[in-house]
Amino acid sequence: MVQKMVALIKGKKIRMRVKFCEFSRCGLLRTVSLSSALLLAACATQAPPEGYSPDPEADPKAVISPGKNTSPAVLDLLERARVASRAGENQKAEAYLERAIRIEPRNPALWHYMAKVHLYGGRLQKAQGLAAKSNSLAGKNVRLRSDNWRIIAHAKQGLGDKNGARAAQDKANALAASMGGQ
Amino acid sequence: MARRVTRKRRRGSRRVAKKRTHNRRWWHHWKRGLAICLVLLLAYVIYLDVLIRIKFEGKRWALPAHVYARPLELYRGAPVSRTEFQLELDKLGYRLAYQVKESGSYARSGARFDLRTRGFGFWDGNEPAKTVSIWFKDGEVAQVHTKDTGNEIHLLRLDPMFIGGIYPDKHEDRLLVKLDETPEWLPKALVAVEDRNFYQHHGVDLKAIARALWANVRAGATVQGGSTLTQQLVKNFFLSNTRSLWRKANEAVMAVLLELHYDKNEILEAYINEVYLGQQGKRAVHGFGLASRFYFDKSLAQLDLPQTVTLVALVRGPTFYDPRRHPTRLRERRELVLDIMLEQGVISTAQANKAKQANLRVIPNPPLGITPYPGFMDLVRRQLRRDYRKQDLTSEGLRIFTTFDPVVQHHAEQALKKHINRLDRARKLAGHLEGGAIVTATTGGEVLALVAGRRPQFAGFNRVLDARRPVGSLIKPAIYLTALQRADQFNLVTMLDDSPITIQSDSGEEWTPANYDKESHGTVPLFVALTRSYNQATVRLGMELGVDKVVENLRALGLDRQVAPYPSLLLGATSMTPYEIAQIYQTFAAGGFRSPLSAIREVLAANGEPLQRYSLDVAQAVDPVTAQVLNSALREVLRHGTGTSAVRLLPAAGDFAGKTGTTNDLRDSWFAGFGSDRLAVVWLGSDDNRPVGLTGASGALAIWSDTMQRVNAQPLELTAELEVEVTKIDPETGLRAPAGCVSAAELAFSKGTLPREKGGCASDQEESLPERTGRWFRKWLH
Repeated sequence: MVQKMVALIKGKKIRMRVKFCEFSRCGLLRTVSLSSALLLAACATQAPPEGYSPDPEADPKAVISPGKNTSPAVLDLLERARVASRAGENQKAEAYLERAIRIEPRNPALWHYMAKVHLYGGRLQKAQGLAAKSNSLAGKNVRLRSDNWRIIAHAKQGLGDKNGARAAQDKANALAASMGGQ
Repeated sequence: MARRVTRKRRRGSRRVAKKRTHNRRWWHHWKRGLAICLVLLLAYVIYLDVLIRIKFEGKRWALPAHVYARPLELYRGAPVSRTEFQLELDKLGYRLAYQVKESGSYARSGARFDLRTRGFGFWDGNEPAKTVSIWFKDGEVAQVHTKDTGNEIHLLRLDPMFIGGIYPDKHEDRLLVKLDETPEWLPKALVAVEDRNFYQHHGVDLKAIARALWANVRAGATVQGGSTLTQQLVKNFFLSNTRSLWRKANEAVMAVLLELHYDKNEILEAYINEVYLGQQGKRAVHGFGLASRFYFDKSLAQLDLPQTVTLVALVRGPTFYDPRRHPTRLRERRELVLDIMLEQGVISTAQANKAKQANLRVIPNPPLGITPYPGFMDLVRRQLRRDYRKQDLTSEGLRIFTTFDPVVQHHAEQALKKHINRLDRARKLAGHLEGGAIVTATTGGEVLALVAGRRPQFAGFNRVLDARRPVGSLIKPAIYLTALQRADQFNLVTMLDDSPITIQSDSGEEWTPANYDKESHGTVPLFVALTRSYNQATVRLGMELGVDKVVENLRALGLDRQVAPYPSLLLGATSMTPYEIAQIYQTFAAGGFRSPLSAIREVLAANGEPLQRYSLDVAQAVDPVTAQVLNSALREVLRHGTGTSAVRLLPAAGDFAGKTGTTNDLRDSWFAGFGSDRLAVVWLGSDDNRPVGLTGASGALAIWSDTMQRVNAQPLELTAELEVEVTKIDPETGLRAPAGCVSAAELAFSKGTLPREKGGCASDQEESLPERTGRWFRKWLH
């Protein structure tokens, strides 16, 4: 009985991830940015999500850095969130990020990381809201805005809003293109 | 002869045999009887054993849910002033000490605090006890170091304040404490005074009984008891006042049984939580945890030696030694207890002498509830009830970590009390003026403080959650938002008609709303109609947009029930609670993102496993650009509109946004407003709905601005959004104002909609004295 349930839950998870993969493969993601690459990696290996690191140098895959003025307290929490997330303790990672957001509520990168954690956790509605919030604080950070739109595209796709997903992806691509040869 | 002898012998032996048989039979019966008795006795003992174990386990595991405030996080730049930090330490019961050695002690010199933290096992990580130095500067934390090595600590989390428990519905409350949470003298004093052989005996102390008997015989009355702590615990479990040998025997047996099953510390802990220590009406005060609240309004861990000994002295007879009625008796008894402690070597002579000198310091009126924050606890209870069965809440020993900020609560309570008392006197309301306030964090909608009335310590009518009152002009931002969402039709300078309007309902009734100053103002820019709260222009606008569209927006903003779309809704005839208003304004404050107001962060099971996290929930309800545009107009309310008087208590008021609300006959006075980090909603009125003679500006606004000033709320920021442009607008014409124009409004526009045309500056024109007075009067009245 229990085994059956576990299998069922696992099956669900796998199906959800496959959806992301199909979506990624279907050509909507023309620019393969880190976040989507990570998602693909998550599909294939079921590895815990990565992508936020207090020090971009330490993790070559990280694109979005938490900003120059990020306080040591927040960096400390981000590091803890990263470790927790690596260990598969997503609830803890979430809690650390929330503490970080309480300290720097106007730091758009923190909202972005939070959106990612929820996206990986399959809480698409929340991920979408958090990515939009990050965008509203992102100002001129085009890379961050592009990545946020990509999260929104994934979430909308998962929620069955194909047109919305395409529109969001177009925005992400347009922003990415505006960055030029970066 | 021989025969006779033989016969005799035979007769004799027969008699002996008969007797033997008789004896044997008797012995047999006796044995059987004894066996039956033994079996019965054994059964009885087993029965007692089961009874006492059920009782003990039941008491031990009937743990209430423990509710904690948010833990204070300290880091360089944390917005905590040294006064607030001092307040936090007081609330947490940290003790001022010359040398910082023990956990929970601190020393202070100027802007520097040295302290030994208590350490706490949070579910997301253990926060070990540390000895640290913290410096404060300009209202924030300047540095956090470890005291010995001087290394910087990036992030330090204090232990969270315990704010109350959620208990079963009985006339009996508990504040359960763990043995290691009690003051160190408490167990020692109890053992010394009540049962000095506690750690040696097996439940019953025969020597003590003999000693007590001898003392009683000599005195000719009961002067001394020989009961052990274990026997007293059993007695307290069954609370019967009959003095009989049978009961005494039962108690003794059960005491021995308890000792067989549980170790000494478990028994002592149960005793500390069980013993009867006072009475208030129907409510029995059991346990030292509750008694400490009841007599000193402090948590048990906060008590010093004389206070701890006072409670120990009470054990012998809480009624006889009632400190509120017989303080001298109690002082004598306390002296005796201190002498015994000295004699047993528990305390030094100096400690004993000092403690004897100390006053009782018992508070005259016991607090009514077991929490100092019944208003907020009420909210916690409701949110839990939504998600848990009542049974689980009261029996599982949950640990609930809330969003409650005791420092913000303190400030909000002080501001509310101060101004309600002042306004009540000024309006001659004879104590009828009531109010409620709620403060939230704009990020994520965490409720930081909730003041349910002017006497916030009293549990009772929760005005923030339950006082549903007409909201007046607080509704207007929802109407103007509906307009601004139609960006092709409206922006902040669209001219609106403020001429009189009459609306006919389906039943043929006519409704002619009027402006507060009974005047019409011709055509006015949209933002002026909002900031000066013109009713005629608003009703015209609302009717054009459609009342049902406004209702739809209210729902999107976070109102979670249906309201009827009558035209009178446009002037706030609909009733809402301050909590519901906070939910709606939260969405404005968060730049268009809706988060359900929440009081709880995490719920943990008794073993520390997280059962539920209430994670940050953010959904876009309004386009962030439109929200910024609206917020810039709401900021004008405090700069040039109905809320200008806020500046008296909040010097930076012009950088905050909000709205006044006033209802017919001045029955309700509202203000809802926010900066970048804090939102507060204040309501004032009377419970019986009588007029209180206050507008939003003359009543609630004062409390709002005082609260925001006290909590050091940060000003609104409008700049992050790329699609927004900010410019100065002349309020008379709605055209761009020249630089340096004082009366100009600083408004936000969605990119590309900025008015091009330049106009004059209204404040440059000479105003006649009557005009100026009229303007001042109008502002003051709203």
